[in-house]
Amino acid sequence: MIRLSGLTKRYGPVCAVRELTLEVLPGEVYALLGPNGAGKTTALRCLATLLEPSEGSASVCGIDVSTGPVEARRRMAFLSSSMGLYARLSARELVAFFGSLQGLAGEALAARVEEMVELFGLSEFADRFCGKLSTGQRQRVSLARALVHDPPVLILDEPTLGLDVLSGRAIHDFIQRERDRGKAILFSTHQMEEVDLLADRVGVLRRGELVAEGTPAEILARTGASNLARAFLALVADAPVAEAVRA
Amino acid sequence: MRSAWWIVFRKELRETLRDRRTLLMMVAVPVLLYPVLLIVSEQLLLFGQRSLEAERSPVAVVGDVPEGLTEVVGAREALELVPIESGPVEALRSDAVTAVAVVGAPSGAEGTRAITLLYDAASDRSQRGRGELSRALDDWADTLLVRRLADRGLPLTFALPVAVTDSSVALPAEMGGYTLGRILPLLLVVITLLGAFYPAIDLAAGEKERGTLETLLTAPVPPSAIVAGKFLTVALIAVVAAALNLGSMLLTFQTGALQITQVLGIEVSLPLRSVAIIFLALIPLAVLFAALFLGLAVRSASFKEAQNALTPVYMVVLVPAMLPIFPGIDFGPLLAITPVAGVSFLFRDAMAGNVEWLLGALVLVSTTLYAAASLAFAARAFGNERVLFGGAGPADVPSTSWLDRLRALAPAGRVPEPGVALGFVAGIALLFFYGGIRLQIGFGERGLLASEWLLLFVPAVLFVLLGRFDVARTLSLRAPTGRALAAGVLVVAGALPMVWLIGWLQSFVLPIPWDLLEGLEELMTAGDVRRLVWLLLLLAVTPAICEEVVFRGVLLGGTRTLEPWRMILLNGAVFGAFHLSFETVIRFLPTATLGALIAWTVWRTGSIWVGMLMHFVNNATLVVLTSTPALREVLSDPDAPPPLWLVPLGAAMLVLGARLLPRVSDR
Repeated sequence: MIRLSGLTKRYGPVCAVRELTLEVLPGEVYALLGPNGAGKTTALRCLATLLEPSEGSASVCGIDVSTGPVEARRRMAFLSSSMGLYARLSARELVAFFGSLQGLAGEALAARVEEMVELFGLSEFADRFCGKLSTGQRQRVSLARALVHDPPVLILDEPTLGLDVLSGRAIHDFIQRERDRGKAILFSTHQMEEVDLLADRVGVLRRGELVAEGTPAEILARTGASNLARAFLALVADAPVAEAVRA
Repeated sequence: MRSAWWIVFRKELRETLRDRRTLLMMVAVPVLLYPVLLIVSEQLLLFGQRSLEAERSPVAVVGDVPEGLTEVVGAREALELVPIESGPVEALRSDAVTAVAVVGAPSGAEGTRAITLLYDAASDRSQRGRGELSRALDDWADTLLVRRLADRGLPLTFALPVAVTDSSVALPAEMGGYTLGRILPLLLVVITLLGAFYPAIDLAAGEKERGTLETLLTAPVPPSAIVAGKFLTVALIAVVAAALNLGSMLLTFQTGALQITQVLGIEVSLPLRSVAIIFLALIPLAVLFAALFLGLAVRSASFKEAQNALTPVYMVVLVPAMLPIFPGIDFGPLLAITPVAGVSFLFRDAMAGNVEWLLGALVLVSTTLYAAASLAFAARAFGNERVLFGGAGPADVPSTSWLDRLRALAPAGRVPEPGVALGFVAGIALLFFYGGIRLQIGFGERGLLASEWLLLFVPAVLFVLLGRFDVARTLSLRAPTGRALAAGVLVVAGALPMVWLIGWLQSFVLPIPWDLLEGLEELMTAGDVRRLVWLLLLLAVTPAICEEVVFRGVLLGGTRTLEPWRMILLNGAVFGAFHLSFETVIRFLPTATLGALIAWTVWRTGSIWVGMLMHFVNNATLVVLTSTPALREVLSDPDAPPPLWLVPLGAAMLVLGARLLPRVSDR
């Protein structure tokens, strides 16, 4: 479903992602872990066709994102905490706008919009301008926006950043539900509870390189740490800190 | 399914129309503020004039005042004769009087009496006092003249051998068009520009700042559809804003609410045909601004940054738009194809009711071409990830401000940034323009020599040294190989006939400034060997060193991070522009071509010395040719085509030279 192979992204002399290779299968949730600046966002943006990889390739449902960016975007939902909503469109209008860009029109579009309003509980504020919504409400609108075309692949860049416990919980429920529907889900985070709760597999990024990959249990076994947070620290921290953690 | 550009357009329009600021600028200002502002300011003007006229101006008459004068002055309603204690100047300065007539002694019964009128030219009151007092004195002079004529028994017509009255054949409506045509074109261009300015910033940089552009780019639509939708919105807003302004202004004039039109005896109305032409020309203009501003604004990260980036463009655009205000500039083909100026002049002619169709067509076609070019520019910007997400990439890459980058670069290998190098060359060009002309006027040929060395060479060397740039790398100070020198000479020798051909071809389009060419020829013609040596030093050796250090040194060295073809074209264009002055537009294309060729050779060889040799060969050839009597005849006639057999020969030499040049990767 999702495949990165040897993906490298350079900005001049800086290498943000180095030869990243990973695969996410249908019905699988893959968590990309890493400290700030490890290259998580860059990798996900390359996959989402927003950035052009310097080397290597990325594909979604067998479509290479470099050669078929528009087709690839039809098959994925991309959500990032840095993404904004149009302040002077209502939630309903916004979802309809992205629905029509996905090729929906007429009654099919209207029906789909209402479905999304229902699914993400937007009805209370669906006709309010997005500029007037709370952070949690905005995140729900963003999800509805990203999923209006019901794509098989979900790419979520720190989906719970800045959300309170309740809103975060709603997102977790949503991810589990979509996995059960057979979607391939790749998300980035640096919160260990999220990984514990959701991830079938984990990849740890450090300075643009994948330093560990496996199920949470495999990661624990490999590092010999008592919990994921310690394992993560051991993997990404510089040598002296890592030593201290192991000891 | 509807096209993506249409969906984007409709959404952008809907959002823009919900923005109160835009609506205010677009609708409220023209529809309401205009008439109100015009009427109020007119009333204030008239009121001020009337209040000035309502009071009597205090004036004084001093000196050898003859009988009867004070009565004539005192009889004028607008004047009040007051005695003054102090001297006339003090009285004026203390505002006790507005004007003083200092009367001299009479020179005989039939002589002329001198009267000096003292007043304060910097005061409206004093100017009015002077005018009234002057008229009173004229009246008095008339009575004296009548008396003298009567004493001699001569008729009044004796002192009036000719009576002239003038009368304009222009109809009030034509006068109205003429007056409108002076002011309104600039206003219309500015309003179209402002109509595009804020929406463009909001739809490009604003979207980036709010993070919505990233959202939009994850939708399955090509960037070209996004640009098209945005661009249509901005262009439409600009056209609507301009049309509303034009309509509102014409209505304001036509309602007769303005007394000033009656006072001036003009009638403001535009024939439907003119309105149609103006509207037709507004569309490509709005398209040009919309695309240009969008393409520029999307390169900025925030609304504020985009505003800073666009304001200089706004200023530059105003200059050509202002040209119709100045009297005596004739609207010709060259102005018609000048961006913005052409439209501005077409507006003027449309308002005056005399449009030349050929020029009008030229304006529309050229503006449409510029608009298409800027649209391509905007589309490129939207398709470029470096533009959309910043060259340094998103948050998880260390930020690189230019200051950081400067610090990080070790002095070894350090060259100026493109913007810095361009800024330096712009500054030096200004210096050369103002300082050089003074030196040349003051010291002639020696001044020319001094200006090249002092205003080009010295500043360039100081810039490289004081800026702590790597001298050898910035100035391409690599020793040339014999092969590189030979290649350079071949390229420039091959280029000479080509440049000649270009000059001849463009003489069909651009007027040739004959006076200037004759002056140049005189300067370049040597009569004896001593003069020839001096001319070679002045016109070939000196520019070859001084101009090369600036253009193929600092400019080329500083723009090496650009793509090679951009770097070379930019170098040629800047070099051509440097040799431009108001009368010598014809020099641009040949000089730019030559500059680009030299830049290309220096880039390939890595050696400025090759550039200097090429520059020398080119200039020296011209000096020697003009000084050879047999060739002068051919050369002094730019109307004649170059000997055509030279063109294939030149092309062959160019190709040969190009093949001899080393590849950049081999160095």
